[in-house]
Amino acid sequence: MSVPPPDSTDDPLLAVRDLAVRYPLPGGFWRRRSFEALDGVGFEIARGETLGLVGESGSGKTTIGRAVLRRVEAHRGEILFRGRDVTRLRGEALRRLRADVQVVLQDPYSSLNPRMRVLDIVAEPLVVHGRAASREDARARVTELLDLVGLPKDAVDRFPHAFSGGQRQRIGIARAIALEPALIVADEPVSALDVSVQAQVVNLLQDLQARLGASYLFISHDLAVVRHIAHRVAILYGGRIVEIGPRDAIFENPRHPYTQALLSAVPIADPVRQRARRRLVHAGEPPDLAAPPPGCRYQARCPLADARCREVSPPLAALAQDHAVACWKPL
Amino acid sequence: MTAALSPVEPPLLEIDALSVTFDTRAGPVEALRSVSLVVEAGETLGLVGESGCGKSVTAQAVMGLVDVPGRISGGDVRWRGRSLVDPRNARFARSLRGREIGMVFQDPMTSLNPLMPIGAQIGEVLTRHLGLTKAQARARAVDLLAAVGIGAPRTRVDLHPHEMSGGMRQRVMIAMAIACEPALVLADEPTTALDVTVQAQILDLLADLQQRLGIAIVLVSHDLGVVAGLCHRVAVMYAGQVVESAGVEDLFARPAHPYTQGLLRSAPRLDDAPERLVGIEGAPPSLLDPPQGCGFLARCPIGDAACAVPPPARPVGPGRLAACVRPFTPAWGDDRSVIDERAEARR
Repeated sequence: MSVPPPDSTDDPLLAVRDLAVRYPLPGGFWRRRSFEALDGVGFEIARGETLGLVGESGSGKTTIGRAVLRRVEAHRGEILFRGRDVTRLRGEALRRLRADVQVVLQDPYSSLNPRMRVLDIVAEPLVVHGRAASREDARARVTELLDLVGLPKDAVDRFPHAFSGGQRQRIGIARAIALEPALIVADEPVSALDVSVQAQVVNLLQDLQARLGASYLFISHDLAVVRHIAHRVAILYGGRIVEIGPRDAIFENPRHPYTQALLSAVPIADPVRQRARRRLVHAGEPPDLAAPPPGCRYQARCPLADARCREVSPPLAALAQDHAVACWKPL
Repeated sequence: MTAALSPVEPPLLEIDALSVTFDTRAGPVEALRSVSLVVEAGETLGLVGESGCGKSVTAQAVMGLVDVPGRISGGDVRWRGRSLVDPRNARFARSLRGREIGMVFQDPMTSLNPLMPIGAQIGEVLTRHLGLTKAQARARAVDLLAAVGIGAPRTRVDLHPHEMSGGMRQRVMIAMAIACEPALVLADEPTTALDVTVQAQILDLLADLQQRLGIAIVLVSHDLGVVAGLCHRVAVMYAGQVVESAGVEDLFARPAHPYTQGLLRSAPRLDDAPERLVGIEGAPPSLLDPPQGCGFLARCPIGDAACAVPPPARPVGPGRLAACVRPFTPAWGDDRSVIDERAEARR
């Protein structure tokens, strides 16, 4: 059961403001070039809330997760965690942040050390952050965590190769929740799993949220999964948020031309409906982020684009309660 | 010859009780266990199932790509009635592949030669199979690029794969697959590596080519939405076997096999968002030591002693086969409402 989104009058757990991230490109010493992976990204996540971050390859969704985890430096902007900017944190303060913000990665095969027992994999954060008094204490805590994620007790002493993809992802989740973090960044956590197993893991994430009250930044290219797990959804295109709002507003009343095209392209597992659907095809490619054009990032593919769209970037402006769109001509 | 006397035309492709075994250090893995399928000219057959069910191996067996440690350990593959497995037909089988049967793989980046312009790669197929001259092949490559929707084909023909986007590269792969006007294209997860808006364009292209050229397509996919949109018929595979095959609308409207039922209800859908997804508990069996009876028994909610004997695929409706002793029995019953009640109680 998904938890109801918490009271929005509370201070957000995470507030990202005007975030820009650049990656250096290989090039001359005198003319340093960079790739603008994110530009002016802003959003908030409340306590116990799941924000779905959706976009296609190169849209910047993984970079947002990495910036929040402090694995990539912000070029500009603020990342406020519990009201405090964490973009410049160092030393002990950064260590404490890392205990409070955990990650679940996509590939359950490469993200677990094959030479470590499940006990050591899951206990590692407890040991590193000094939360386990003794080996017995760590073992007891790990057994509890494995039970919580639906793995058998005897999993403790086994190695990752003994488990299926879905079970490995459960191990990764047990490790992520070991320190009872306030925020979990889940980057495509179910994309490598088969559908019948995917459902089990999505349900587990929802159950854990109900029990532990953690917030999720749920990064995915799969809109159907996001519709099931997210309370609010942000759509990214070319390093910017083009639309953000409550789940139902995004899926039932999308206002940005890109969101509409994206939703219309997702195939539905029903031959009658699928064949009757009208698909919006906006041909073309995402912009080159090494030399982004002025104006809206979607202008080259947008059927509505005019002179203003090509010159001035549309701001992310609220159209309704909590539903904002970066478009000069919202639909 | 009169129509009454003419023998029944054999199907375009017939896979007959095909078994494929991989010899591994741990022992023989039975990747395919007596798979039978028929593909008629001009139709699209979807092959769906989860990782390791054998859908890709089936396509590879047709293309003659099963190689050591794998081997065809039983059964036959026939093209218009003629065996492709029989070693005496090896030359015939080779002459078909690339010419009568084209193939599109999942990852266009690794299946194209990175050092060769795309036009030359398409041209190679044409000079080899159709004996065109270099100049003729180049002109035809330009036509083919235009046919698969690549703009400015005259300049693009000289690009290398890394100069193109993923969607463009997959269009090039499709151009190569249809270069010799084949009767059948095997497409193994052709859109899985692509973004969803690009996927939609590639699926449109495949549907369009099929209508214009009358090509039959075998589409291997894990994505039920993709299959629902493109295919005429669907075969569902599980643990190296075909558990059900049916026309696409019948299969989605009234799945016969409990596994198909489970698969359909566990796929999250964009147009329907219940609060709770329903998975299938457990995992597929190991094919090192496959179960004697029904492969799905360990996960099946309605399985019992009767399923300990392997259920043969039998007709369960017009054009439908299912390998289940209790076809059409709602395997999960009103499971979803039970879950909702439990959730209510917890609140």
